Amino acid sequence: MTAEAPPAEVVDKVPEPAPPSGVRAWMSRHPLAAYAVRRFGLYLVELWGALTIAFFFFRLMPGDPIQTLIQSLQQNYIYNQQASAEIIARYRAEFGLDGNIFSQYLVYMKKLILHGDLGPSLISYPTPAQDVILRSLPWTIGLLGISAVLAWILGVVFGAIAGWRRGKLGSRIMTNLSIALSHVPFFFVALILVYVFAYTLGWLPARSAYDSNINPGFSLDFIASLLKYGLLPGLSIVVIGTFSWILSTRMLMVPVLGEDYLVYAEAKGLKPWRILTRYALRNCYLPQITAFGISLGFIFNGNVLVEQLFNYPGLGTTLVTAIQQLDFNTIMGVTDIAIFSVLTAVLLLDLLLPLLDPRVKYWK
Amino acid sequence: MSEKPAGNAGERSPHVLEIKGLDVTYSTSRGDVKAVRGLDLAVRRGEILGIAGESGSGKSTLAVALLRLLKPPGQVTAGSVLFHPAGRSPVDLLKVDGEELRVLRWSALSYLPQGSMSSLNPVMRVEDQFKDVILEHAPARKASLGELIPRLLGQVGLEPRVARMFPHELSGGMKQRVLMAIAVALEPDLVIADEPTTALDVTIQRVILQSLADLRTDFGVTLMVISHDMGVHAQLVDRVAVMYEGRLVEVGDVRQVFKDPQDPYTQQLIESIPKMGRRAS
Repeated sequence: MTAEAPPAEVVDKVPEPAPPSGVRAWMSRHPLAAYAVRRFGLYLVELWGALTIAFFFFRLMPGDPIQTLIQSLQQNYIYNQQASAEIIARYRAEFGLDGNIFSQYLVYMKKLILHGDLGPSLISYPTPAQDVILRSLPWTIGLLGISAVLAWILGVVFGAIAGWRRGKLGSRIMTNLSIALSHVPFFFVALILVYVFAYTLGWLPARSAYDSNINPGFSLDFIASLLKYGLLPGLSIVVIGTFSWILSTRMLMVPVLGEDYLVYAEAKGLKPWRILTRYALRNCYLPQITAFGISLGFIFNGNVLVEQLFNYPGLGTTLVTAIQQLDFNTIMGVTDIAIFSVLTAVLLLDLLLPLLDPRVKYWK
Repeated sequence: MSEKPAGNAGERSPHVLEIKGLDVTYSTSRGDVKAVRGLDLAVRRGEILGIAGESGSGKSTLAVALLRLLKPPGQVTAGSVLFHPAGRSPVDLLKVDGEELRVLRWSALSYLPQGSMSSLNPVMRVEDQFKDVILEHAPARKASLGELIPRLLGQVGLEPRVARMFPHELSGGMKQRVLMAIAVALEPDLVIADEPTTALDVTIQRVILQSLADLRTDFGVTLMVISHDMGVHAQLVDRVAVMYEGRLVEVGDVRQVFKDPQDPYTQQLIESIPKMGRRAS
């Protein structure tokens, strides 16, 4: 710019970027698509890396699953003589345990990617592990999915209010309560809930996912039973989840309240509710969307214990049983499902972000 | 509503704002600090009044107190600020609260902050930041928004497509103009501008000052311009008020003050303007 005052039109021109070429031209013309392609590539690499690590990690576990199987068959008098080497070798091949660890890895990945086949389950042999998992998956998705989303919504709403009314008595109580309760483990809350509502008051059932006298199906009775049985395990996840979301949302909210645009919104004479939603919350909930995807993994961990406690027929219970029986393929299958769902959730949320935040731009 | 102006309640007062004995105090753990002390000042309808003074002289505190944006530990401890909006009964700005104050904002009393501050909401398009304030105070204009916003932007020398942009896509000078256009969107009686040219390139400062002067001509608004820069006052304002340590040391016609400053502090301020051919050391 020269020292002379330029005419007004010059000042107002938005600098146009220089026309790029080739792939870069396509990327700058379709920034969102280019970002989606790059992000999806990263997702595939992450998925491969995590599955590979999980595979080798579980192969390091001590104990021989085939010996365990033979032993359990012997115990049940199905197989009452010493297993011959041939039979053991057959089982090894079937469970994907023959050859060296790298050829095992290649066979495993090939079956997983091409056929979605996880190999036979040890406990329910010869049922494939994926069938065992698919039987329990809907229960976990229902319980975990609904409670995680509910906890997020409640936490962001109450956290925003706690931040907005900071310094007021109600907000201080809520904040301190959140600090105290957000680090209590899920199962501890679950135990208290079971003690109070199931054991002492006898209002709600503490075990199973539905009343076994009702036939599963799309009947009102069955859905009511589902809700009744799901209430306590769901609540134990929602309670703790909500408190930790309250705390983190409040933490994001407070600095936003000191921003100039909040003072400006007040000077504009906008209604307080509008300032809270369009100015304050709109600027602080975005990091919480990414955090939600990451938190799914942690909730899954907590969920294992909650399901076990309530004898809920979900993935967590399946996983615990599988570990007890050294059911290799099922353990890995559950881990693979957890890896897949957390990475996919983060991918979807990352793709959602540029649509929610105009400042997020993805070309270089 | 508060007291009527002395005598003629119905007639239009020559003043938009009458500040009497205003005291603003910041309470700190090491005692109270008075940022504004016993300030008396009247703003005439249609004029551009400059408030000059060094950092810490209390000029920005005066602005936020008048706009009722003062936050604790700041507190107005004495005085009255009588505001005469056109077509409404006069009010003491320091006594209104809640809904009464909210309705007064922007349609009668608006604010032009420094453009380099992040006063625009980063996640809202420029047009939406016009819309929310216009629809809040003048919902009848909903139908004409499509024509109104480009016209307001044009008034400050911006292209209509700026309306579709986000604040991070604007330069500092463009942001300052957007803020100017929003400030006059509802033809307020008084616009309080806090350092409207600070942190801008000198060449753009010149353009912004011209646009501010044009706004007075086009919209007939009264402007109160707070700036530490005596050059801004020399170029833009009709009258200038000089503040020092929270007190008003001098008020007068800008030419008169520059030609014949009465207060020794004003003299120092004027001498502080750099001149060609005079080196600093």
